[in-house]
Order: sequence, then C-alpha cells, then structure tokens
Amino acid sequence: MSEFCLEISSANKSFPGVKALDQASFRLRKGSIHALLGENGAGKSTLIKIITGVHKQDSGKLFINGKEETLNNPNDATKFGISVVHQERNLIRRFSVGENLMLNNLPKTALGLIDYDEITIKSKKWLEIMDLDIDPKTVVSELTVAKMQLCEIAKALSLRAKILLLDEPTSSLSPQESENLFALLKKIVRDEGVSIVFVSHKLEEVFNICDDVTVLRDGENACTSEDIKNLDRQKLVRLMIGRDEQIVKSARKIENAKDIILALKNVKTELGHKNIDLELNRSEIIGLYGLVGAGRTELMKCLIGQDKITGGDVIINGKKVTINSPKTALEKFKIGYISEDRKKEGLILIHNVLDNTSITVWSQIRKAFGFVTDGMIANKVDSYIRQLEVKTPSNYQLISNLSGGNQQKISVAKWLAAGTDILIIDEPTVGIDIKTKAYLHELIIKLADNGTSIILISSDMPEMISLADKILVMKDFQVNGIVENDHDYDAVSSKIMEFIHT
Amino acid sequence: MATLFKKDWFGLLIVVIVSGLAIAAVKPAFLSHFNLYVLMVSTSYMLIIALAQMIIIAIGQMNLSVGAIGGLVAISFSGLMEVHQISVPVAVLIGLVIGMMCGFLNGYITAKSGISAFIITLATLYIFKGINLGITEAEPFYNIPETVKNFGNAKLGNTPIPFLIVIPIIITFLMWVFMNRTETGRHMLAYGNSVQSAELIGISSSKVVITAHVISGFLAATAGILVVCRLQLGTPNIGDSWLLPSFAAPVIGGAILAGGKVDVIATALGVLIVVIISQALVIFKIDPFFVQIFLGVMILLAVLVNRYREYKQEALRKIFNSE
Amino acid sequence: MNKKIPNFIFTNQFGLLCLVLIFIVIFSTVTDGFTSRFNIFALSRVIAIDIMIGLAMMVVILTGGLNLALGAIGVCAAMFGGWCMEVLEIPIIPSIFLMLGMGSFLGWINGFITVKTGVHSFIVTLATMSIYFGFMTMLTEAEAFRRLPELFTDFGSAKLFNKYISPLLLVSVATCFVLFYVFRFTDIGRKLIAAGANPEAAELSGISVNTMFIYCHILSGFLGALAAILLTTRIGAAIPSMAGQLGMDWLLPAFLAPVIGGTLLSGGKLSVFGTMLGAVLVTLLTNGLYLLDVGEFWIRFFLGIILLLAVLLDRTREYFTLKNVIVS
Repeated sequence: MSEFCLEISSANKSFPGVKALDQASFRLRKGSIHALLGENGAGKSTLIKIITGVHKQDSGKLFINGKEETLNNPNDATKFGISVVHQERNLIRRFSVGENLMLNNLPKTALGLIDYDEITIKSKKWLEIMDLDIDPKTVVSELTVAKMQLCEIAKALSLRAKILLLDEPTSSLSPQESENLFALLKKIVRDEGVSIVFVSHKLEEVFNICDDVTVLRDGENACTSEDIKNLDRQKLVRLMIGRDEQIVKSARKIENAKDIILALKNVKTELGHKNIDLELNRSEIIGLYGLVGAGRTELMKCLIGQDKITGGDVIINGKKVTINSPKTALEKFKIGYISEDRKKEGLILIHNVLDNTSITVWSQIRKAFGFVTDGMIANKVDSYIRQLEVKTPSNYQLISNLSGGNQQKISVAKWLAAGTDILIIDEPTVGIDIKTKAYLHELIIKLADNGTSIILISSDMPEMISLADKILVMKDFQVNGIVENDHDYDAVSSKIMEFIHT
Repeated sequence: MATLFKKDWFGLLIVVIVSGLAIAAVKPAFLSHFNLYVLMVSTSYMLIIALAQMIIIAIGQMNLSVGAIGGLVAISFSGLMEVHQISVPVAVLIGLVIGMMCGFLNGYITAKSGISAFIITLATLYIFKGINLGITEAEPFYNIPETVKNFGNAKLGNTPIPFLIVIPIIITFLMWVFMNRTETGRHMLAYGNSVQSAELIGISSSKVVITAHVISGFLAATAGILVVCRLQLGTPNIGDSWLLPSFAAPVIGGAILAGGKVDVIATALGVLIVVIISQALVIFKIDPFFVQIFLGVMILLAVLVNRYREYKQEALRKIFNSE
Repeated sequence: MNKKIPNFIFTNQFGLLCLVLIFIVIFSTVTDGFTSRFNIFALSRVIAIDIMIGLAMMVVILTGGLNLALGAIGVCAAMFGGWCMEVLEIPIIPSIFLMLGMGSFLGWINGFITVKTGVHSFIVTLATMSIYFGFMTMLTEAEAFRRLPELFTDFGSAKLFNKYISPLLLVSVATCFVLFYVFRFTDIGRKLIAAGANPEAAELSGISVNTMFIYCHILSGFLGALAAILLTTRIGAAIPSMAGQLGMDWLLPAFLAPVIGGTLLSGGKLSVFGTMLGAVLVTLLTNGLYLLDVGEFWIRFFLGIILLLAVLLDRTREYFTLKNVIVS
C-alpha cells in the first residue's frame, strides 16, 4: 500500500493556445493536509479539474492508493472517494439541509416516495461529525455562509470522500469561522481518515494548518510535496512568483499640505456602511485594504451612485454633493471606477476594442445630432490604446479574444480616455500576469504624479504597500483604522493586520 | 397552527373563501347549484393547463406552446374518432401520446441546443398550430361519440360536481406527490433553483428538462381532451386563449419565474381565484373583455408581490446572519 | 486597420442577400405569376409591414428583452387613429402624429414598468398585451372604423414605379436607413447597443441603462404604431382583429426577421439591414410556397420550422462571435 492516497505524475494538459500543465506532479500523503499554491494562471485549477474528473490529462498518470486509474468524469472521481468543496456555495438554498446532503441518493419508502424521516436520521450523523448542531429540516437559506460550507463538507463525507479538495475555503469566512473550520479539518483528518488538498492564496493559513506544500508556476512544479517545515513565507513567495516580493519604494513624497479633492464625513449607506470618514488629497493614492466582505467595493459603488448613501456628507472640492448615478459621477464630477470584475462589469465581451475603449467618451466627441463615427472615435482613443501597449491585431478585434492582461489594459484605457480627476481602481491585478502587473503599478503611480487622485482597492498586501500613500483598513463595512505608508513592508503590514484583527 | 399561517396557500385560501362569500352576499345566485357547476367545469381544465405551465416554471423556463399542444391533441382526438372511427379509449391514448411527443420535442431541443425554452416553444407553438390548421383546414370536427359527450355533461349524483373535475383533482394530487415526494420532482426543483449546483451534484440537466416538458405536454393533452368532452366539438381554436391563464394561476400561487419555487396547492387556489373573478365579472354583467385586463393586471401584481417577498426574506436573512 | 468591404462577404447579411436572390430565381422559374406585377406589388406591401414589425421587435431584443405587446400596441394605435380621423375628424397628418404618439406612450409604459420593477419584459409585456388589448376592445366595442379619409387609404393602394412597388415599402426602407444611421453614427445608438450588451458594464461606464432601455421600448411602440399605420392604409380600415387575438399574429414575423437577420437574442448586437433582409426572405418564402399551392394552412407550420432553424443558427452564431471568428 502506497503512503500516498493520490498521486499525479508528469501530467500534461493543453488547451487551444495555451499549455496549462507541463509535466506537473502532485503527491498527497495519507492523513495529511496538503497546500496547493500558485498565482492565478499557474495551473492550479486545471490540476484540480483533473483530480476531480472534469478534465482528463493529455499525458501522465494518475494513481489512487497506489493503483493507476482513469477518471472520465466527475462521477468516477466521486466513486473513488474524491470530493470537492468549491469557493462558491453549491447548496440548494430553498431545500432543507438534510435533503441537500442526500440529494444524490434520496432514501425511499416501499412505494418509491422519498422517506424524509430517513433523511433526517442519516444526515444527523454527518452533521454531528462537523459539530453542526442543526436540525436537518432547517432550510439552507437560513444558515450562515460558514455553516453552509460545513454542510457541504459534511455532504462530501457522507459520499465516503477520502480525498477532500477545498478551494479557497476561507474567502467568505470571518477569522473566527476560519479557526472553527481549521479545527474541524484537523478533526476529520484524524478521526475519519480523510486527506485534504487545501487551495488558498492566504499564506498565513497555509503555515497554520498544512503539512505539505506543492507550488505551481506557469504550469510547472516550483516545488512538489515539500514539507512545510522546510519553508518560510519568503521562500514560498519566491517559489510562487519566481523572485522575491517586490516592494516598489516609490519616490513619491507624502505631501503634508492638504488639498482635499474628495471627503466623506460620517457616511452611512443603504448597504450597511457606518461612520465612514475619508479624505483624498489631489494626486494622492489612498488604499482600501480589507478581507472579502469588508465592504470596500460596496462603499465605492455607493460613492459613484450605483447604490445609495443614506447619511453623512460627500464633499468634492469643498462643496457638498449628491451623486445619484455613475453617469453623474463621470459627467459632473469626473469620477471613474475601474471594476474588479472586468469580464462582467468592466468590458463588453462581444464588442471590439474600439467600442470598449470609447464607451466613456461618446458623449464628449459627438457632433450635431449626436453624430459620431469610428474615425472620430479612433482619433480620440487610439493614443491611449498605444500608450498602454495593448497587444491587439486591430482596433476591431473582439475583446473576448484578448488575453486577460490586455483586457485589463482596455478597461483602464477607457477611463484614461475619459479624463477623470478621481479614479477608483478595484483589484487591478487579480489574475494578471506578472509583467502586466508591474506595468499597471507604474501606470498608477504615473497617473497620480500627473494629477489624478486615486482610491485603490486591493487584497494584495505587497501591492498595497507599494502604491498607497495611506491605507484605510476596512472591516464589516466600517473603517477600522488608517495607516500612513512609509513603504516599510513589515511595519506597515503588521499595523494593517492589527486593525484587521481587532 | 402557526405553521399553517406561514404556508403560501393559506393566504390564498382565505382570499378564495372571502371573495366567494363576498360575491355571494351581493348576488346569491353565485352559489347556486348551476353556478357552482359552471365554476367547477371551468376549473377542471384550467387546473390542468396551469399545472402544465407550472412544471415548466419550476425548472425556470416557459412553455408558450401549451395551448397549441392542447389544441392539436383536441382535434386529433376528435378527428380520430370521427374520421377513422377509432374507439374512445384508444383515441384518448393516442392523444396523450401526441401530447407527450410534442413535449418531448420541446424538451429535447431546449436541452440539447441550450436555446431558451421561450423561443423554442414560440417556434413549436406555430409548428403545432400549423399542423392543427393543416389537418382541420379551420373546420371543426362535429361528430363526437355520445359517451364522450355524456362524460362532459355528467354530474356526480345530485351534487353540482361535474364528472369532469374528478380527473383534474386526481392529477393535482399526483402532481403534488411528484413535486414533493419523488426524487425526479425534487431534482427538477433543485435544477430550477440553480442549474450549476444541480449539475455539480450530478443531476442530469437533459433528463430534468425533457421529463418536465414531456409531463407538460401530457397535461396539455389531457386538458385538450377534457375541453372536447365539454364543448362536444373538436375545434381548431381550442388552446388559443390558454397562454395567459396558464401563467396567471401559478404566479398568483407564488411561483417565481426564475425557477425553483412552485406550489401545487397554491397554483390550484390561483386557478380558483381566476375562475371566481372571471365568473363574477359575468354575473355582475361587466364587459367580458375586462377579463383580459384583469388577468394582465393580476399577473403583474402577483409577480411584483412575489419578488418583493423574496427580497424581504433575503434582507431578513442578511440581518439575521450578520449578528 | 479597417478592412470592412471585403469582409462583407463573410457576414450574415451577405448570406441572406444570396438566399433572397436564390429564392427569387427559384420561385420565378418554378411558379406562375411570381414575377407578375400584381404579385410583386402585393409582396411589396406585405414586406413593408413585416419589415416594420421586425424593426419594432429588434429594438427591444437589443435590450435582451421581448415585446409581446407589439401587436396590441399596433392595434391600439390604429384604432386610436381611426377614431381620431373618423369620429373626431382630425386631419390626416395630425392623426398620424397622434397614432405615433399613442404607440410611443404604450411603449413607454412597458419600458417604465420593466426598468422600475426589474421584472423581465416578457412578463411585463405578456401582461400589458392583454391590458392594452382589453382596453381597446372595451373602448371600441370591437367595432371597426371603415370610413377613413380617402387620401389616407389611397396611400395604401397607390402604385409606383410602373405599378410594381407600393409607397409603403419606401417608408419601411427609409426607416431602415434612419435606424441604421442612428445605431451606427450617433452616440445614443452606440449607448443603446452597449446597454443591451452588458448593462452592468454600461452603467458603470457612465451610461444610464434604465433610460436607454426605456428609449428602446418607446421606439418599439413608435415603430409598432408606424407598422399599424401602414397596415391600416393597406386594408383601408382600422379593424380590431387586424393583428389577431391580443395582437399575437404579429409575433412570428416580429421575431423571425431580426433573428434571421443577425440580431442576437441575448442582446447587444443587431443588424438593421439584416432584419430587413430577413423580413424579405420570410415573405418571399411564404409567398412562393403559397403560389406553389402548399396550402395556406401549412404556411404557419413552415414558418415555425424556419423560426426554429433561425434560432439554432442564432445560437451557433453567438457561439462563434464569442469564440474565434476574427474579422480583422
């Protein structure tokens, strides 16, 4: 019997135009919690899909408990005891917990009808293993997200899972709930003989509960099943990005003279924000840092008028204003918002480069009776597309055909073309390759130097500490603290974490 | 007792009872033997039509061809008996099979092509109606066997209860069992709630969609046959007016058009409400065209109310969970 | 780089044009009377109305929605106009404006309810379809207006170009050009398209999506009223059943033309001339089949099949738009 319950050796997988995995290997020791790390685009999700039977590797072998197997579909994976709990919840909210747990395999009475009493009895058992004191008849929508997740894990256990994949499990959990989850994970590893693959971006968690680490970079192994005791944060980061974390010590001086372009005073919003105070100076970069669910994007959406501000004042250039739509924000106050979800909110995938870049300026460049031609548009926005070095064969290329990095550049270009005074940038480099990431960082600093005032939302600590002049730490829809940034990573990051954890 | 209040259909039951009594208070003839009979006759096929749409709403889709299927089966049923001298039971059987095949076509194309059921059933609406008109050339079939006519007219003993309503009641019961106590039914609702989650669980989308449409076709066929029994004719325009009521009743019954939330009993009560108020308009000698306005307004209101309730529940959940 | 003309060959519109020409050739040779003056004139009138109906639905499909109330709006506008001209004796031109105004108003109601409540336009227009039609029937007591001003009805029976073409067709084609201009060469046209393609992205980019959608619905009602005007002049009377029960007779041509013509059902992509060619193609096919003695009752069946094929094509087209057919 192999000491490894799951092994993948030299897997190759290509998709049209991209090689996702290049001789990638992975070995999961029985009874361990194994971290799978890598930047976006490193090949993690492809490897996960191969493990769960969604894809089949082009070449390379897969072993389960030492025996070579072939997984043709997710059902095969389930049969071999492999289960996955995704980042988003996948329970049927209108159904009860018990019914969700047993939905694949509902117990039936002699007549072929569902036996709800059996459901209650059987599901109780699995809920108890996860320390969930819930009546199986409870409707899922009444649970907290954390409890829903634990139910999904309970369900995986009920399907006799021996290998459990958890994809970004703490992305929607509070620190308390995360701690609770980790304790339970350790418990089921110990008591139920489960081995866990733990996929996460949060290095602190990896050091907290994982035994081994595999790091993927550009489809290859940067390290394979390395004992975590041999690594520290710095080494891990180097493995992930191929070099040391770069803290760009920008030459920007923190101006002490105040030139407040935007101020929020005691702002309340319909989404739940309270007591929000913020001051943005001209040419300044303010960072909003926080965990998922802190309310940063939501706050900015209220600022630009997408959702309502219900109390307090918004002051621009010394005057109280009301912004009731993104249109007003742009046309009256020259505020722009680069969305974090570029595919859904930032770009129109079925339209071309030219249309996407110019969407913010059609009103500006039109002539009498609204007359606008492609030529006039190209005149206005071409320079920005060139300036950002967007790689595209022509202006008429469909956005959906560009790479992620180039798509992001277009979603930035359209706001440059619009000529904003205040620019809100929401998670600019998520899922972006390293070169473009560095480019965008330089661009952000240049913009600020040239007079644009910037509010930067980022969950990437190094990025935040590189770019921001001061950092507002948000938690639970409130501002927990403000940190002046002297770009000393250790000092600033610990001050930020303090504010996060109070 | 408190749980009874929370049930969707309880409020509707109150509305039905109160409105029925209110109308009767002004016009006692409303509760006469004859009028109750008429009410129940209308309810009988309305009920099945509503259920035919309800099951498709359950999976988050729409079936515009409900009336066209019903009409096609109606004329096939009558035509087979009149022209080909087919016996009644066999004709019924063939009619039901035709309905199921129409439903299968809808479901199969929807499932395999990924195109919205709205457009597919809009096309099949014309296809089935076209076949209907092609066969009948807009002429009705008049020669309906006596047994069928009697079935359409008979009552249970001395009560105002028509024979016609017995089958719909049985079907309603079976539908309730199906949606609440069978695996396929629960899988359908799961699919309607979240296609992604259902597929991840291993529920076959094709199976769910095709089964739902086949059932819908079967129910539409049943309604078509019942109408022939009632009208004592097989006319090509049977089903032309089914579209609106087929949506109104489930929606009044709390159905969410995005899918995943339907209630058989509430739908049945929705049918009752529509029928009662239509009947009341006649009794009060209000312009019959007003029914259409009424139905349209009811649908809008019901949809708005349902959305509002969902919104409120979601808001309450957020507050509850952030404690 | 802008290499647009040669690439026209690969577009949907060119394919349609070819199909239209092919069918014209086929039907001219195979049937009797297809190319007769009488037939072409009749065709030109039907095409004119189908184009208009198709355009009216197209602008709502652009938003990713549907306008089931199109026929009902048309009939309401027509009956309103009939009442104005016959009963109130308002002169023709102001009556036409009033009819267009009525159509726009009813369209506005649809748009307003849709954006303010967030309910899908399918359900809203399903409801308003019956509400509008119901009110119309009630108010007119289902009586037609048959004594319309001669000048008005003469327009419908007028014959141009050596008696081959009806002026109705010219109105429709002119409308196509106007719409083409709006969607290609004005900022508001681009905004409408962007709003339909991705409402969230458009909103965050400074476009007032709700306003855009309401404009689309108003335009749809306007065009529906225009179609009704054309139909009324052609019939010579304003009849409550001119668009079938609840106006549903218009639904099939209203969907067929845009969908065949390349307007994506999911919204955000349209083709004015595609819609025009789609209407032409469908009318030609219907007419040709009729002349081939296919029997009028089977025509509806064929149209349903065509719609089915058209949407399957639409799906394939959407797939390729997002995939890789690069025209550059």
